[in-house]
Amino acid sequence: MIKSSMQEIHPREVANKGDKENLQKAIGMALEVENDALRLNTQTFNANRYNAIKKLNDYEGLKDRARKIKEKSIENLPELINKLTAAVQSRGGKVYLAKTKEDAAGYVKDVCKSHSAKLVVKAKSITSEEIGLNDSLEKENIEVAETDLAEFILQVSKEQPSHIVAPAIHRSRERISKLFKENFRTAQKLETGEELTKFARDILRQKFLSADVGISGANLIAANEGTILLVESEGNIRLTTQLPAIHIAIAGIEKIIETKKDFGTFIELLAASGTGQQLTTYTNILEPPLNLPVLNLNGRQDTLREFHLVLVDNGRMKMREDRDLYEALYCIRCSACMNVCANFQAVGGHAFGGECYTGGIGGAWTVGTTGKLENGRFAELCTGCSRCIPSCPVQINIPHLNTVIKNRLIKKGEPSLQRKFFGNFSVLARFTSTVPTLSNWAANFYLSKIIFEKVIGFDKRRNIPRFAKSTLTKQYQNYKRDSSIREIESNASTKLILFADVYTNYNNPHIGMAIVKLFEKLGLPVTLSKVMEDGRAAQSQGLIDAAGNSAKRLTRYLLELIADGADLLFAEPSVLSMIRYDYKKFVNDNRLFLKLQNNCYDPMEYLLKIVKEGTLNVDWLKERITNRNIKIFYHGHCQMKSIGIGNSTPDFLEMLGFEVDISIAECCGMAGSFGYKKQYYELSKNVGKDLTKQIRKSQVDGCSIILASGNSCREQIMDELGEEVYHPIEFLHKVIG
Amino acid sequence: MPVQTHVDLVNQFLLSAVDSVATVEKIARTPEALNEALLKEIADEQFVLLSQPDDIDKELFSLFEKNEKVITYPTGEQLKTIRTGITDSFCAVAKTGSVCVSVNKYLTSAISMLTRKHIVVVDSRTIVPRPADLFSENYLEGKGLSKSFSFITGPSATADMGPLVRGVHGPGQIHIIVLD
Ligand code: SF4
Ligand code: SF4
Repeated sequence: MIKSSMQEIHPREVANKGDKENLQKAIGMALEVENDALRLNTQTFNANRYNAIKKLNDYEGLKDRARKIKEKSIENLPELINKLTAAVQSRGGKVYLAKTKEDAAGYVKDVCKSHSAKLVVKAKSITSEEIGLNDSLEKENIEVAETDLAEFILQVSKEQPSHIVAPAIHRSRERISKLFKENFRTAQKLETGEELTKFARDILRQKFLSADVGISGANLIAANEGTILLVESEGNIRLTTQLPAIHIAIAGIEKIIETKKDFGTFIELLAASGTGQQLTTYTNILEPPLNLPVLNLNGRQDTLREFHLVLVDNGRMKMREDRDLYEALYCIRCSACMNVCANFQAVGGHAFGGECYTGGIGGAWTVGTTGKLENGRFAELCTGCSRCIPSCPVQINIPHLNTVIKNRLIKKGEPSLQRKFFGNFSVLARFTSTVPTLSNWAANFYLSKIIFEKVIGFDKRRNIPRFAKSTLTKQYQNYKRDSSIREIESNASTKLILFADVYTNYNNPHIGMAIVKLFEKLGLPVTLSKVMEDGRAAQSQGLIDAAGNSAKRLTRYLLELIADGADLLFAEPSVLSMIRYDYKKFVNDNRLFLKLQNNCYDPMEYLLKIVKEGTLNVDWLKERITNRNIKIFYHGHCQMKSIGIGNSTPDFLEMLGFEVDISIAECCGMAGSFGYKKQYYELSKNVGKDLTKQIRKSQVDGCSIILASGNSCREQIMDELGEEVYHPIEFLHKVIG
Repeated sequence: MPVQTHVDLVNQFLLSAVDSVATVEKIARTPEALNEALLKEIADEQFVLLSQPDDIDKELFSLFEKNEKVITYPTGEQLKTIRTGITDSFCAVAKTGSVCVSVNKYLTSAISMLTRKHIVVVDSRTIVPRPADLFSENYLEGKGLSKSFSFITGPSATADMGPLVRGVHGPGQIHIIVLD
């Protein structure tokens, strides 16, 4: 038998990613063994999700309602637990509130033993994984048959789940076929999806017909009526809850909402966000114990149906009190945040996940339910790209949860030079820019690259960001001095100010100048702000306090400019989205925050806006374009997409008559400083593959220029393709005469 | 939103049901038409299970019930090996093509989960616009709120073994007969 590398590095061995080495190993294993299947399967889910939400009449409205319902439920949780208990008991069911996982597993075991159960059929339930149920039943010689096909696979392969909705998403058909052939003696053919499915189904049908007890989870539970919502595609949940006379449902207390009248808000949203269906094949609304005769196909003589609801606390009440992590309790486990996440698409939940909770939302859940901060270390894999936020049906700020975990790890005594380096970019920039030639020379000297890698973990295969010979501030001053002769005529009604973010000021002054000059050509004079830190870099390293301080200072400054009648332009999308989305946490006054949101713009967004308002004449602009026969490839910045302006650049370019191919990659993989780090270099490159593949194809189709709004996206593409990539404004500046 | 007429709802349901990979037909509301439609669907079977209808007028099944293939009180062995069964449904959803099947009814629950082919008879007057309508007093006189039931949207399916496969633990085929 040939040993696959999968068997050499088994996911279980790297499941505990409390220490850094294991996290590294898990990333390596996932990239080597699981990457292809993960990418294909998550991206299929993700594309289906986009299609499904288009068909929902009122997606945003449903999300708002779902969020409000969850907020209210968690707030009233103790009261809802009491109501639910009363409702279930009034029908003759039993409710057990388990404080810990041992407690929960112990109760289930006792129920099974009291019925002399030998075989239990189980439908997929992450909560049952969390409480370690299978182990504790098997110790009592009670057989547990996992009946969800994915869980069945994992039971054979002895792996932990890699995804909360499709737990075996990391396995390709080929690897499942190989696994079955190695583990079952059978003459049956085990090649195609049909053959594999039928094989597993036939085994499991026998289990269903002879099981003594059925154990399920729950998607939602309505307190007033004691009704359980359970969604599935295979039909195993229906068999589990309806064939055996004894049904045990295990659910975290956060699954409780007030009334089943609200189920209507969730069922379509959950289906669309998860598997991308309009409604999950079986959407089961159950009020157990069911008033349904027992079939006793298992040969037992059960006459009455029995129902036990095990409500699991296991850290949740404590999460509820946590001023940051409480938000994770709103999660309805749809998995959208995993399928949309570029890093997750590459490594899945065996690396980007804990024992049972995976992906961006998995960090908070793992920390909350295990009570150990180190177990959430995989939160490091969250780059903060923010693509998950608009995909989350209950609008959880998932990257914030991960920033908090990083922050707590630092506070627990794990600051690293690397975090400090990437988090304090402005200090470094200011220092080195005094001697740019020297620092650039040193930066590319091989020895200094090695030292850089050793000391701060800056991967030596990457180019160290170069500092410009002269800063934007200086270039702008010189330009103004020279141009004082040609005082331009303004046709703008508002003042325009370009924000001099640190990166644009020290590294990309040419982009800042292109904005100034292009706008001037259009009769829109732009002045330059002070150089100020915005907090994005610090936040991405988990340095929340530093980020908050920068945010407060910058808010004060920007509000002064706005009060003065100015609109603000931002060259760097990550800075713009920091202000338009993340500052909400730091600015306590919502009115002021709205001002920031309404007066800060991406330059292309701004141009599109004034064209739509009629202030800028698009035909006049078109006439000034020297060459319109250019096909463009455009990659939007991840955070730009998340604040809803992902389309403004391509829309504007198309309006001007250019043909534009738009990138479908959720993220370029560089994600700020993430891809520069030695430990994530391979992952970052792997994520970038999708984008570069699409660009190559577009080039074959005639695209001749690559545009990207974000600085790190441009770096990533240039690094991969060795070709120049431009900011859209640089391009316009070139083609507009 | 424009108010949908009864005809709109029925047409939308027929289309959505096909999208969900069920097969669907609309027939006249008579015992003869129902008998004919059901016989066609069970042509290959030795015997089939029929759950006593109560969400739909029993009279409509009177002709079909007399067929010798029909079993209404199966033995345990018959239940274990059953391939095809017929149930009624108390409601259907236009937007998604789902049929709503009661869970608290003895053979309805069993047939809809144990068979390979599930034939569902639905009254076109019980079609509601959206899934959420089942949780509102304004539709079906609040019937959806008082029941344990399942929305069934197409055949059971999985992608766990790689490609999409239809027919897993539940029926691989759903045939819906809509009574006009
Ligand atoms: S912010 Fe980006 S990297 Fe982090 S979990 Fe969300 S999608 Fe993934
Ligand atoms: S965090 Fe949001 S997107 Fe992610 S699984 Fe939970 S509900 Fe779904």
